[in-house]
Amino acid sequence: MASNQSDLKKSIMDTKTLPTLPNVIHKLNSLSDSDSSSVQEMAKIVSSDQVLSARILRLANSPSYGFHRVSTISNAMILLGVNVVKSLALSSSIIAMMEHDSIGLWEHSLGVGSAANLIAHRLKLPECEEIATAGLLHDIGKVIIKLKCSDVDKEIQLRVTTRQIYSLEAEREVLDTDHAEIGGWLAKSWFLPDKLSEPISFHHDVEKSCNNRVKTAVIHLADVLIKSSGFGDSGDDFVPSLQNIAWDILKLDKQLLDELVYELEDKLIEVKNFSFEMLSN
Amino acid sequence: MQKIPLSFAKSGMILARDVFRGDTPVGMPVCGKGSELTNALITRFEQMDVKSITVEGHPVWEEGDRSLNDYLRELDNRFAKTIQEPHNAVLHCVYKEYLIKAMEGYSGQQPE
Ligand SMILES: [Fe+2]
Ligand SMILES: [Fe+2]
Repeated sequence: MASNQSDLKKSIMDTKTLPTLPNVIHKLNSLSDSDSSSVQEMAKIVSSDQVLSARILRLANSPSYGFHRVSTISNAMILLGVNVVKSLALSSSIIAMMEHDSIGLWEHSLGVGSAANLIAHRLKLPECEEIATAGLLHDIGKVIIKLKCSDVDKEIQLRVTTRQIYSLEAEREVLDTDHAEIGGWLAKSWFLPDKLSEPISFHHDVEKSCNNRVKTAVIHLADVLIKSSGFGDSGDDFVPSLQNIAWDILKLDKQLLDELVYELEDKLIEVKNFSFEMLSN
Repeated sequence: MQKIPLSFAKSGMILARDVFRGDTPVGMPVCGKGSELTNALITRFEQMDVKSITVEGHPVWEEGDRSLNDYLRELDNRFAKTIQEPHNAVLHCVYKEYLIKAMEGYSGQQPE
């Protein structure tokens, strides 16, 4: 590694070499949400891609979403709505990038997706599925670091293990940026909506979120819970601080946490089985 | 709760999760959580190709299984950097109580 911090940062943030989304996803995103002719159009687009259809259906039935009744794409459109199917298509494409060579991170992400969904339902928040999607994608910046600079990724891991620091700190030392900023940047370059890009950018600093603080707080809490549980591997073994602002926004107290943890641990058994099944396929 | 192979199932154990035909949630549900196992039920599961079940407590100990103390030590390690902070202290307590509850009352040693 001859390059210095800012060169590395530049090369990671270079849009020309960012992974691209499959064309179908762009086609889907260009369709309007309400128009009923676009629903049929969308079903046609998705169904034309066998691999994507299969992935969407598997993900729809994953513990992060848990729609057990979904068995066909058109069924999914009717039951879940166009927006949810768009989210599913997006996450399934991104997850494909980490599923096989970052198993620990993939399990961490699935866990955070499930936890976020559970918290959102428990607090009766709107757009639970979008929140689950944000949870699945929150650490996408780590995937980018690994994909683009595997040397840097190794250096970060080395610093984490030798000095027992958070991977977030190691990233900042090595790259002068971190996975949250990189992920947010990626989300913007993919034109993802604010409700996804803000939780990705600010899940380690909830206060910075302007338009989607509640969603960001949910993802922050979901991440902290999964780290507390020791489920999966996001790069280090330490529980981050549960931020005051998230505690207040979500009106947390011990009893609520008791209930959430009990439900979450129950669900994580399913998540583990699901991840195992997906990997053995 | 603990997931065990069906061959380790004994009557008297309590199901902690629903059991499905062929072990997959897409299969037909066969028995609901909370049910107490009987020999007849176990034989039925065998016939329905159920390979593993999840039961209350932690009835089966194998070499290499972690004890409650191991789990609590790992929990403390994970919280090493943040246990001083009030919100994290609450969360640590929540998890500690959860682990104790989940591991207790497994082998019938526990009074009613
Ligand atoms: Fe993160
Ligand atoms: Fe994370």
